[in-house]
Amino acid sequence: MAEVVQSNVQPIEFEDAEQVIHAIHHGDVDAFVVMKGTDPQVVTLAGADESYRVLVQRMNEGVLTIGSDGYIIFVNDRLSELTGFPADDLIERHVATLFAGEPPALVPDASLEASLLRRDDSQLPVKVWTRPISIGEKSATLVTLTDLSVYRRAEQLAAAERFTRSILEQATNAIIVLAPDGSITHASLMAEDLAEQPPVGRAFSQAFPLEAYNTADTLLERFSAKELDQALATKPFHGVEIKFRSERLSKRVFLLSAGPLLDEKKVSVGSIVTLTEITERKHAEEQQATIAAELNHRFKNMLSLVQSLAAQTVRSSETLENFNDAFSGRLQALASAHDLLTQTHSRGIGLSELATSILAPFRSRDERIKASGSHIVLPVDAVIPLAMALHELTTNAVKYGALSNASGHIDIAWRLVEQNGSRVELTWQESGGPTVKRRAAGFGTKLINRVLRDLGAETEIKFNPQGLSCTVVFPLQRTRAP
Amino acid sequence: MMIEEGYNLRLYVAGQTPKSIAAIANLRRICDQHLAGKYEIEIVDLMANPALAQRHQIVAIPTLIRQLPEPLKRIIGDLSNVEKVLVGLDIRPN
Repeated sequence: MAEVVQSNVQPIEFEDAEQVIHAIHHGDVDAFVVMKGTDPQVVTLAGADESYRVLVQRMNEGVLTIGSDGYIIFVNDRLSELTGFPADDLIERHVATLFAGEPPALVPDASLEASLLRRDDSQLPVKVWTRPISIGEKSATLVTLTDLSVYRRAEQLAAAERFTRSILEQATNAIIVLAPDGSITHASLMAEDLAEQPPVGRAFSQAFPLEAYNTADTLLERFSAKELDQALATKPFHGVEIKFRSERLSKRVFLLSAGPLLDEKKVSVGSIVTLTEITERKHAEEQQATIAAELNHRFKNMLSLVQSLAAQTVRSSETLENFNDAFSGRLQALASAHDLLTQTHSRGIGLSELATSILAPFRSRDERIKASGSHIVLPVDAVIPLAMALHELTTNAVKYGALSNASGHIDIAWRLVEQNGSRVELTWQESGGPTVKRRAAGFGTKLINRVLRDLGAETEIKFNPQGLSCTVVFPLQRTRAP
Repeated sequence: MMIEEGYNLRLYVAGQTPKSIAAIANLRRICDQHLAGKYEIEIVDLMANPALAQRHQIVAIPTLIRQLPEPLKRIIGDLSNVEKVLVGLDIRPN
């Protein structure tokens, strides 16, 4: 050792050189130290391994190689991170010491869960995967450890995302989630159906071009498209009635609402916009408004009719008793017609039904009144005038005509006639009563003429000596007088 | 701490080359069987730090250096020939 030039450098001796050559010759070595300039460098015979080394060092799983005796030969950087121990402290340790409690059985190709013991005595849930390998002629075991804490967090997030997604997909309303800049991050299936373009990633106004349903509602007009996106993403909106600009959706009405989306610290991270379809509700409201207007119109007509009936019945009644009889009878006819109108509103009223109802109070003389004709459904506004006319004719017959003695008869008949469109001809023929004398037109006759004139009818009343006859021809359809 | 009268061995390896892995396993087994309780092994990975090759003029890997007891001995190869290792380390007379 006297030839040593540097005290800490051991020179290679001749017999060692011989040993090197022998080892190379017999394949006992697989790496060499070569000088690159003044720096030594290691060259392995299996140089292609380098890429795998890098891969193993960089991978996200902890990797260790253990010998057949269970002692650790190699660890990658990730395993050091997971355990908190530097690689040097891990090499030469027995694999069982890495785990808390019972170490996992290292069954080839099996995937097991275990608790990795960290340097700070905390434990980390890991998945352990084992694979037998051979290094040269030696058998060894490759073990990979996957950090389940990250994986479980990702699983929880994925589950939460699936949960949210299923709510969005089940929702019957269109639900849209907006980021603070007004761009869409989530959309329910219903929302996707309404959107003009695939909604996610687009600005709300671009995916859902809309305007106020009611032009009198000027709230939306205050915003440009960009401002609306901003406002929906940051301000609460409650029930603005809107319609879409696209032709495809133009007949549908929606309620636009928006509310803030808060994170766990109650800080707004965007908003949830809902579009609730109210087309049917809107139609129902409009229908209701029409019905209310119609009812109002009829009620006013009815009041003026009753007022006129009362005034004229007073004028033509000699005593209070006469007034009472006549007015009650007329009101009764009016009420019967109304009952029929209410009961049969949906299917319409047959002329036969109307005649039966109005003639019912005179049922004891039923066999003396014959009513027949084809099935004719009356227009709604013909019901009251016809009911009043039939009532007046019957009352007149009881007082002066065919029903005023014991042997008179009345024949009522109707048929459809084609004359300037569909018209109905109704004939009233009395016979067998006292001889008819022409009288000055009483209120009954005036009333008949008046109410039937309102119906657009042509009326002819003949005072034949053998019995009164009345012919009414009225249209089945006509436009209502203003 | 040095073990009195014991063996201080240093094995130079190059990462996980097959011969390096084999040499580590062979050396541990031999020591357990023949030098139980009186040896100390230091494994030096030249792949991680090639400059450490200079001290013992390492040329081929794996190389085992017996630092103690003196004199320094050098055994080159994967240590699979147990007899050769025992003789080389002066554990068994030639």
